[in-house]
Amino acid sequence: MKMERVGIVGYCQLKPELDMMMSPYEAIYSAVRGALDSAGLKRKDITTVVTCTNDYYDGKTISNCFKVEAGGAYMKDETKVEMDGAHAAAYGQYRILSGNHKLAMIYGFSMPSCYLYEPVRILELDPTFDRTISLINSYTAGGMQMRAYMKAFGVSEEEIAKVAVQGYKNSAKNPLALPDVKKSDISVQDVLNSEVLSSPLRELMYPIPCDGATAMILAPERQSLKITDTPVWITGMGQCQETYYLGDRDLSKSVSMEKAAEKAYKMAGISDPKSEIDVAELFGHTSCEELILAEAAKLAENGKGATLLDSGSALNPSGGAMSAFTPCACGLTRIVEAAKQLRGEADEYQVSGAKKAIASGQVGFCAQNSILFVLEGGG
Amino acid sequence: MVRAEFDFWVGIVMDKFYDGLQNKQFIGSKCSKCQRVFLPPRNRCGDCFAKAEEFVELPENGVLKNFTVSNYNVTERRARKAKEPIMVGLIQIDGADTGIIAPIINISPDSLKEGMKVKVVWAKNVKGHPNDIAGFEPVGGG
Repeated sequence: MKMERVGIVGYCQLKPELDMMMSPYEAIYSAVRGALDSAGLKRKDITTVVTCTNDYYDGKTISNCFKVEAGGAYMKDETKVEMDGAHAAAYGQYRILSGNHKLAMIYGFSMPSCYLYEPVRILELDPTFDRTISLINSYTAGGMQMRAYMKAFGVSEEEIAKVAVQGYKNSAKNPLALPDVKKSDISVQDVLNSEVLSSPLRELMYPIPCDGATAMILAPERQSLKITDTPVWITGMGQCQETYYLGDRDLSKSVSMEKAAEKAYKMAGISDPKSEIDVAELFGHTSCEELILAEAAKLAENGKGATLLDSGSALNPSGGAMSAFTPCACGLTRIVEAAKQLRGEADEYQVSGAKKAIASGQVGFCAQNSILFVLEGGG
Repeated sequence: MVRAEFDFWVGIVMDKFYDGLQNKQFIGSKCSKCQRVFLPPRNRCGDCFAKAEEFVELPENGVLKNFTVSNYNVTERRARKAKEPIMVGLIQIDGADTGIIAPIINISPDSLKEGMKVKVVWAKNVKGHPNDIAGFEPVGGG
């Protein structure tokens, strides 16, 4: 079924930092104000605000209730998703498609300089068994996922290190990448020599959590065309939730992304993603997970994701999560980066002639939940 | 810093599992439709959406399906360099269709291999607690 088009008409990514001077409210205001300015809109034009922050990252319950004014939601329809900013985008899209809203402000924000990202994620575990044993965390889950992938498809550590190297090199061209990851002269050997976090996962294959905020504005088709000559259209979207238990799943693949992509491609009328998708901005928690997601999104055969470094769809030209991994904003940033490619705004990392892009978000260990958007237009 | 304490009621099925640990016994549950055996047990099969309330006693042996050796000790409070590398295994107990995450012990990290046969080592004092599983060790020694 063809879906009515929802347009992306404005956006703003704050420059990410390891330890931002701004408060959460100052950061969110800057991103939201920036997104309005990018589209020539005013706060009064917003009819709904969909936020993505996280109570256990923010250390307070109903974390959005303090951010009303900063997010432009004062006296307006407002809601929150506690997943990824990409899920907030989907929620905004649903609200637009309901016919009740003319303009949705979406933002994702987190400030991991104020909490310990890996320890806090222990709160995501089953509260009795897994949390008591405390053996599942970002490192060990990433390690087991990488081992499963390498074994299932005979992929070497070197191939995965190459993906990390590409992530750093691409980040070097992205003005909104963390300064710490702009490494244009990094080698595969550097990655393979970096510290083992949890075997076989190494430090330089693991994006650094950092402070940031991203805002994006969605509008219905007619409204979008009034706002800008170059809206980016959401032509497909799919989402899928797997089981929580890692021991139930085949970690060498992402079934959640396979199913999400199936739905998104069907909606967008895409039958051959490999040849039709020019750019993919995929949120992987590790370099290995980027490959698993790219393969699940049918950009390459299983175990052959690393071939995307040489040919096929451009994988994470912005550097992906490696460029700046802001929890709650990372997937939304992927959508904005894909939109920038379609609008020809990506300067040094522009993929020439990009016409169709995909962007993904996720939440949970080993991408328990995946969401994929298909984007077109922009020019 | 404000700290709030919460209880979490594990429910009928996991209560049975913890009772099992206290008796040095793994208890799984079986889907009434597809017959898959879950460990940890649960009262439903997500796929069939059928009841999985039949309890199944499972052996102490299983297979190491996956593992990772972590240099970091991550708890709810902190992530710090571990004194000794931590061996984490994904173990599928014989007769179960799913795996559990548990420590691997009594073997050197270099000797770990997927597909290894392993056996549970119970804690000295079992009390119906997740830590009743001291870990899994290779069958026949490392």
